Amino acid sequence: MFRHLGTKALLAFTVLFFAFIYVPIALIVIYSFNSDPVNMMRWSGFTLDWYRQILGLRNAASEAALYIETTEQLLAAVKNSFIVAFSTTALSTVLGTSAAIALYRHPFAAQRFYRVLLFVPMLMPDIVLGIALLIFFVGIGGQLGLGTIITGQTTFLTSYVFIVVSARLAGMDRSLEQASADLGASEWTTFRRILIPQLMPGIMGGALLAFIISMDDLVITYFISGTNTQTLPIYIFGMLRRGIKPEVNALAVMMLVFSFAIAFAGLYLRNRKR
Amino acid sequence: MDHSSVRLDGARKSFASPEGTLVTALAGIDLSVKPSEFLTLLGPSGCGKTTLLHAISGFVELDAGRIFIDGEDMTHRPPNKRPVNTVFQSYALFPHMSVGDNVGYALDIARVARPERNARVGAALEMVGLGGLEKRLPRQLSGGQQQRVALARAIVARPKLLLLDEPLSALDRKLRQAMQIELKTLQHELGIAFVFVTHDQEEALTMSDRIAVLNGGEIQQLASPGEVYNRPANGFVASFIGASNLFTGSGSGSGAETIVRTSAGLTVHARMALPSSGPVTALIRPEQFALAPDTGTHGLSELPVSIDQVVFMGMVFEIHGRTDDGQKVVATLPASQQSRIAEAEGRRRAVLTYDPASVHLFPAVSEAA
Repeated sequence: MFRHLGTKALLAFTVLFFAFIYVPIALIVIYSFNSDPVNMMRWSGFTLDWYRQILGLRNAASEAALYIETTEQLLAAVKNSFIVAFSTTALSTVLGTSAAIALYRHPFAAQRFYRVLLFVPMLMPDIVLGIALLIFFVGIGGQLGLGTIITGQTTFLTSYVFIVVSARLAGMDRSLEQASADLGASEWTTFRRILIPQLMPGIMGGALLAFIISMDDLVITYFISGTNTQTLPIYIFGMLRRGIKPEVNALAVMMLVFSFAIAFAGLYLRNRKR
Repeated sequence: MDHSSVRLDGARKSFASPEGTLVTALAGIDLSVKPSEFLTLLGPSGCGKTTLLHAISGFVELDAGRIFIDGEDMTHRPPNKRPVNTVFQSYALFPHMSVGDNVGYALDIARVARPERNARVGAALEMVGLGGLEKRLPRQLSGGQQQRVALARAIVARPKLLLLDEPLSALDRKLRQAMQIELKTLQHELGIAFVFVTHDQEEALTMSDRIAVLNGGEIQQLASPGEVYNRPANGFVASFIGASNLFTGSGSGSGAETIVRTSAGLTVHARMALPSSGPVTALIRPEQFALAPDTGTHGLSELPVSIDQVVFMGMVFEIHGRTDDGQKVVATLPASQQSRIAEAEGRRRAVLTYDPASVHLFPAVSEAA
C-alpha cells in the first residue's frame, strides 16, 4: 500500500522534474512562431516573421522594429562566435590532449600539483576569472577584442579537454603501447597508429564540450570582449536589456537547433567509428 | 659460437617501491635458453619472472648484466629493435583494428609488400586455427579466439624467440588445457625457443622442456619438469611444486642409506646419500604413500598417523592426517583401495608406508636465508 503510494509520488516527482526543465524550452519554441508582437503569452496565429527578421529577409515596420538591432550586427556577432569557438576548440584540444598524454607518459613528482593547477580554472567562479583576465589584459596593454576572447576562453577550456582525455587515458590498457613497440613500431608510429585512435572518442568529446561552452559563454567573454566586439551571447544579452522581443525567441530556437545538430553529429561520428 | 637463443649474464634489476625502499626483482640471473627449447619461468607473484621477461623484450632496462639474443648483444636495444615478440597476458589486441590488421601490424611496420603481407597474415591465422577471420574486430571474438589472434600476431614476423606472459591465465580450465597442447605443437612447428611465464605449476610441468623456478629474484632450480618435481633443489621448490610432506632434522647414515631424525623424534628412511653436512630435509610426495596393515609394530619406512579428514577427489582419495608429534601429512591413495581407506577412516588411524628409494633429500635452509 505505502509502497504503491511511494511509487506514485516518485513518478509524479519525475514528471514534474522534467516538466520544469523542458516546458520553458518548449514555450520558447512555441512563442517563436507566435505572430502577436506585443504579448507572446497570447496566441494570435502562426508566423515565420521573427525568423525572417533575424535573417534579414524582412524589415518589419512594426513599432517593435525601433528597438531591434540590425541584421548586420547579429551576423557579425554570429561570425565572431564561430571564429572564437573554432579557434578556442582547436587550441584547447591540442593543449589539453598534450597535457593529458604528457602526464600519462611521464609521471613526475609534482604531478598532483600539476593536475590541480589544471583543474582550478574550471572551479574558479566565472566572474572572478573574467575580472582577473580583464585586469591582466589591460595591465599588459592588450587590445581587447577577438584575440583576448580566444586567449581567455582557451585558458579554462583546456581544463575541460584535459579532464575528458585524462579519463580516457586512465581506462586505457597500457600494454597496447608495449605490444606496438614489441611488434617493431617506433614511438611516433605507436603514437599515431595506437594512442591517438584509442583516445579519439575522448578527444572528440573534449572538443565538442569546449565548442559548446565557448559558443554560449557570456560572463567571462563579456569582461574581456571590449566595446567593439560582440559574440552571440553578448548580443542576445544586449537585446534582452531592451525587453524580451519575439526575435529573441526565434534566435534561441535557432541556437538550440544548432547545438543539437553539433551534439548529434558528434555522437554519429563516434558511433560510426565503432 | 654462442649456441643459445637467449642468454643472460648477471642480470640485475631493482625497483623503487612506493614506500621508497629498493625492491630487488632480479638478483644477478644467469640463464641460457637453448634454441627451440620450451623454457618456463615459474614462481609466485613478485618473484621476478615478469621482470625477467620484460628484460628480454626490452621493456625493462637492466641495472647490471648483459643480454644476448641469438648471440648478439641486445642489452641496450629498445624493444622495437629486438627480434623477439610477446604474447601479453591481457592479449593487448588493438581494439580499433581488425584481426587481419592486428596480425599484420608488424609486417606493415616492416613495410612488407601487400601480397606477401596478406599471405603471411592468412598463414599465421591458419596456424592458430582462425583462418578467414581477418575482417572481424577483436571484441567480436571469444576470449580463446582473442588469445589465438595474439599468438598469430606474435609469430607472423618470425621472431627468433617468443615470449609468453601468462597467456593462458584468463581462459577457463578446459580451454587452458587444450591450449597447452596446442602451444607445444606450435612450438615444434616453428622450431623457435619459447619463454613462458606462469605461476601455475601444473601448466609448467605439462608444457616445459625445462623449468626455471624463481623466488626473490633468484633462480632456485633450473631443470626438467621430472627433475624439478622428483628432486627439488630446496624447500622452496619442493613446496611450490606439487603437494609435499617435508621432514627436517639431522641426517645420519652410511653410503646410500640415510635416516633423518626430526626434532620431535620422528624418523624417515631414505635410500639416498646425505646431500650435505648439517640439517637435511626429506621429501615424500603424497602419492608415494601406501596404506599398510596396522600390526602395532612399525618398521623404518612406516609412518603411523591419526586421520583428520578423508577427501574423495575422483581418481584418488586424499588423506589428511598428522603424526604423533603433530606434523601434518597428506597422502593420496588410489580410489581402488576404497574399502581399506574406509576401514582406516573408521579407526581414525592409519599406517602409511613408503619406498625409501622414492624419498628425496636436500639441504635444509631456514626460510630467512
